[in-house]
Amino acid sequence: MKNTFCLLFTLFIGGFVQAQVSFSTGEHNIEISSRISTFYNQRFLKDGESDRDKNRFRLRDAQLIVEGRISDQWEYEVQVDFADIGANNSGDIDPENPGLMDAFVTYKGLDAFNIKVGYSKLPYSRSSLTPFPATTYWQRAQFVRGDFFSRRDVGLTLYKDFWKKRVNAYAGIYTGLGESSISGGGDNDASGNPEFIGRVDLSYPAPMKYRQVDYVHTPIPLFAIGINGRFANKNLPEGEDFPDGAAGEFGLKLIDGKKYTYGMDFTFQYRGFSGLFEIHQIKAEPQNENDALFLGLTPDQTEGKILAGGYLSELSYFFKDIKTIVSVRYEQLDLNDLNIGDSKRFSGSLAYQLKGFDAMVKLQYFNNLNEQESLDPLDWNSQLRLGLQFNL
Amino acid sequence: MKKTIITILGIVLCFSSVYAQEILKLDPVKKIDILVPEPSDIAHSQDGKSLFVVSDNGYLFETDLEGTLIRKADYKGLDVEAVYVNTSHVYVVEEFTRKIKMFSLPDLILEKTVKIPYYGGRNKGYEGFTYNKAKAVFSLFVEKDPLYVFELDENLEKVNEINLGKLARDISAATYYDHHLWVLSDEDRTIFKLNPNDYSVLAKWEIPVLNAEGLTFGADGNLIIASDALERLYYFNNPENIQR
Repeated sequence: MKNTFCLLFTLFIGGFVQAQVSFSTGEHNIEISSRISTFYNQRFLKDGESDRDKNRFRLRDAQLIVEGRISDQWEYEVQVDFADIGANNSGDIDPENPGLMDAFVTYKGLDAFNIKVGYSKLPYSRSSLTPFPATTYWQRAQFVRGDFFSRRDVGLTLYKDFWKKRVNAYAGIYTGLGESSISGGGDNDASGNPEFIGRVDLSYPAPMKYRQVDYVHTPIPLFAIGINGRFANKNLPEGEDFPDGAAGEFGLKLIDGKKYTYGMDFTFQYRGFSGLFEIHQIKAEPQNENDALFLGLTPDQTEGKILAGGYLSELSYFFKDIKTIVSVRYEQLDLNDLNIGDSKRFSGSLAYQLKGFDAMVKLQYFNNLNEQESLDPLDWNSQLRLGLQFNL
Repeated sequence: MKKTIITILGIVLCFSSVYAQEILKLDPVKKIDILVPEPSDIAHSQDGKSLFVVSDNGYLFETDLEGTLIRKADYKGLDVEAVYVNTSHVYVVEEFTRKIKMFSLPDLILEKTVKIPYYGGRNKGYEGFTYNKAKAVFSLFVEKDPLYVFELDENLEKVNEINLGKLARDISAATYYDHHLWVLSDEDRTIFKLNPNDYSVLAKWEIPVLNAEGLTFGADGNLIIASDALERLYYFNNPENIQR
């Protein structure tokens, strides 16, 4: 009986998932696809805590994606998440799920570099650049979710690949408000200054896509290393503030002053195993001595700067014969070096492929090992998230 | 908590009805780096003296048997993913435009273009093309989601459509050799020998090639595989001559 149920379920899903549809005039090709994902979340609270509002079903994604390509010179994409638009009606934008996911045009007709304009993912952090459907987790690591640096923005990106696509280089200039750039009429903050971002990554011996899982069991070891940095000088005029929510949950996403962010990432894939290590640091130099980031300390104590940072490491294995991926992640985060302590989390994930990455059952277990209690107190010890992901 | 995790693991394993079959692994006898950028398919000439190689970037090359360039067609296509050559023509398949282009063999001049509409994903289109002598049709393979093979008559008009089901996770190339169809799966890193009449699997072999996008048999009956990502040709002994 159980096997019959399982077989019927797999056949049903297999028949349902047919992935993208495209139309072509020969020169112009338009592809339409959609993405739906939903999960149930169960939190296990600390003793004495009673707020169980996170124990719920949630529609994470309800996306429509239109991608176009004209000859080999122009590309464009619009990606909208209706689930996020509904959730963000309150005014708060979740940077990991901002509603409008992409709206950009790329020109590839120049020899020197490609040009991308519009709103899209920023070339910073391999983990951030890895598409969500290609991961086994329901949530990205804390540092790369969009609370410390923006993951998307409006602006201009120049990029180019070299050495048989093994080297990719990106440079860009953006409004600097991140996901908030598209709200509030699209205005910049009162500083009027942009953010600059650059990234270079090198793969060897072959080009590597931004993917978490070695789904082909690559027969030779593949490695990639990336370095990236970003800078914004957002000194606000006296009496001005950033738009609501733009500075992020911890007030680190935008700094009333100068903000330097830099990081590196390393990944490998070999025979079904894959790993990722990524580390980042923020150096913030608020212009005002009484900025909340200084935690009430004197300039002598702070030297006019604060540091925040963290790292994440992931190890995954794809059991090809049973279409199952197992992954573990460990992450550390220091929200402010002027505050003692840090937070540490462990996550495990399990994904069963009903039809490749286009239909997966995903389970993620979160364990809060340690927290920076005075800056980010949590009311839970662990949580489980189980759901389905479809790319149709 | 433990019970919950064990229960979920149990559910996952109950879905796992596919178990590994014993599959012979082939080892290459030779590898050669070639100057063709991102080779996406290869075909052996009928006279046995050269290879025709197409590139993702939209080019058609003829090389010697060691991959050295002999000539290049005056042609720039879009996402060229398959090539087939007979005694008079070279056929090139563009995944992006869904077009088959027919070049005269002596001078590589474009003679004919035929569009075979297909509305699946842009990068999940045509990946393999060969002539199926057993059925006297051209076989045009769709990469995935789903795995289709379209049969075309001599005028390149579609006369039949077959869903290959769960043959492989994808198909990246196809050729006809020794009265059978042979197809390559990049994601499964596997070569399949098929019955050319009903496309059933007769045998399969695993290959240690990253991003395998092209396969052909040489005049000596040995196998050549093209790696797109490494821009390299791998030479194997004929898999049917290898003892298990």
